[in-house]
Amino acid sequence: MKVAFPCFGYETISLKNFVENLGAQVCLPPPLTEKTLSLGTKYSPELICLPFKITLGNLIEGLRAGADTLFMAAGARKCRFGYYHYIQETILRQVGNGHKFYPISQYTPFEFFFRKMPSIFSVSPVRVITATYLLLQHSALIERFRNYIRKARILDFNKSRAQEKHALELLEHAKKLSQIRKTKEAIDKLFDKTKIIPDNTIKIGLVGEIYIMLEPFANHDIEKELGKMGVWVWNQRSLYRHLKHLLHIDHLGIKYKFQASPYLKDSPGGEAINTVGEARSFIKNGADGIIHIYPFTCMPENIAFEALQKMSDDYSVPLLSLSIDEHTSQTGLLTRLEAFVDLLKRRKMITQKPKIQNSKIKT
Amino acid sequence: MKIGIPRALFYFRYGRFWQQFFNHLGIETVVSPKTNKDLLDIGLKKVSSEICLPIKIVCGHLEWLKDKVDTIFLPRIVELNHGLYSCPKMIGIVDIARMQVGNQCQILSPKIKNNFIFAHFLLGLNLTKNPYKARKALNKALPYLNNHKTNVFDNHKPKILLLSHFYNLEDDFIGQDIKAAFIENGFAITTKEVLDQTILNSANGFAKNIQWIYERELYNAFHYNLTKVDGVCDIISFGCGPDSLVGEIMNQHANQNKVPFLQLIIDEHTSKTGLVTRIEAFSEIIKRKTYTTDLHK
Ligand code: SF4
Ligand code: SF4
Repeated sequence: MKVAFPCFGYETISLKNFVENLGAQVCLPPPLTEKTLSLGTKYSPELICLPFKITLGNLIEGLRAGADTLFMAAGARKCRFGYYHYIQETILRQVGNGHKFYPISQYTPFEFFFRKMPSIFSVSPVRVITATYLLLQHSALIERFRNYIRKARILDFNKSRAQEKHALELLEHAKKLSQIRKTKEAIDKLFDKTKIIPDNTIKIGLVGEIYIMLEPFANHDIEKELGKMGVWVWNQRSLYRHLKHLLHIDHLGIKYKFQASPYLKDSPGGEAINTVGEARSFIKNGADGIIHIYPFTCMPENIAFEALQKMSDDYSVPLLSLSIDEHTSQTGLLTRLEAFVDLLKRRKMITQKPKIQNSKIKT
Repeated sequence: MKIGIPRALFYFRYGRFWQQFFNHLGIETVVSPKTNKDLLDIGLKKVSSEICLPIKIVCGHLEWLKDKVDTIFLPRIVELNHGLYSCPKMIGIVDIARMQVGNQCQILSPKIKNNFIFAHFLLGLNLTKNPYKARKALNKALPYLNNHKTNVFDNHKPKILLLSHFYNLEDDFIGQDIKAAFIENGFAITTKEVLDQTILNSANGFAKNIQWIYERELYNAFHYNLTKVDGVCDIISFGCGPDSLVGEIMNQHANQNKVPFLQLIIDEHTSKTGLVTRIEAFSEIIKRKTYTTDLHK
């Protein structure tokens, strides 16, 4: 069995190790490129949101790379994501042949642990549970690494590249619990914790739709670009948190729901409530600006967009909304980012000199 | 107290019920006028251009109502009939409305989550503080919940199924031109609103996978009519998430069954002439097809 699934940023490594822990071979599609996107766009319905197109292209490339078993997340509630697989399955059947396609529902943990995964991989439920535990640990590690690398980029961008490469290699080999523990120490050592971020660094809170935020190809590597400009990016989204949310142990989610409540009283689905809650708590912690990134016509984020506009007025913190589709050009995006960062720098200079009481925030 | 109800979105399904309900509670209601260009233009300024047309229209209506009443009624319908959700924008519109009207008026939005009738009872109780009155008003209003229209089919004309949300087709601003164009081309029109709720909500076949209330209705209506009509026209707003998916699924199924399928995508820039031309071309296809199949018989 050669397994392929859509890439999910750095978190792909966690998922890959998870599948390997279940005893299957992973046949990852080649890294995401423009080709993936145009392949996905070619077969997709016109009006669908961007993650559909990228994941579809990704799965097709996986098939071409020799995979015979495809996985896709499923589980429908209020948003489109849970329905992707119905259409993708039909399309993939036309493109490939003889492969298996398994949609994995996110909201039925019992079935996941005791029926679906054991029967697909022919392993015992205990092994699935252990593997999931390891997946949680590993994704926590990835989250840790991503927090480090964001800081490392501001301190020394060129050095951070080497560090990133090194860390990813370590992470790839962390499969068992003991290895994960060792890797954690190694990564802690790799990134010098003693160095602190200078006070006048520009801080930007990044919020938005989870796939776009986590997949560097989809967001045109926005975190790295901002890091290059010397911006400290705050980002609270990760696979680790999402998994915890699915297992109902995500305490941060409750916090953000509370933070979002003046703007959104109820979750419209997707990640909107997190987007709004995170943005508000970033602002309260002193972020200089907020960047909202989401796929074009994304429904929950469109609602969040309105809330963020209002929030940006209320707290007078600049907001940059980036709606991404397959026509978004890297250069155009960079120009907008640069202009935004310039604006923040100018504002910071003005507010810093007289030291006015900018910490008082009205609600 | 005067309660304003926007003549948009849910109004086209539950509007008569709400009006009766509030009147029996002894509360005056004001319904915004029919959608027109001016209302839409106001709405356009209020929300991002990416949002679907129906939501932009609601925002226009809200703006009209906000200086005429002190309370606007806009329920938050999250889930109906267990496991059937409404679309994210229908849930979020309440928050958008609250931010839009600000302190000028209050938004009355009972949260409806599998308790449509009980939520209204609570609302009545809250407004009148009198359980008997609330119950009586509810009972009086309930018959208005199912507004059935009977379908008059002219058997000689080719039949077309117009598939769209009720707030698109029944809002004359959006639906009238399309309906008129089909009638002009000699079609008899049917929509999902004439079908029985048991058909619309049935969870048989593929429909059970669809967990959006109104999308399931669309799919069921499509499925029910597939063998009964000569063509299907699916009207979706640009930026509509659920329709972009379910529309595609229906398109695939229609192709498999060789039923002509037209997808019209509408937004605020859609011109009448453009629509009419596309409908004409589509009519030609259907007519040619029925003609050739008649020959084969
Ligand atoms: S959250 Fe946005 S991008 Fe994701 S499925 Fe929903 S509409 Fe598409
Ligand atoms: S179902 Fe579509 S048209 Fe209706 S509110 Fe939702 S996105 Fe808009």
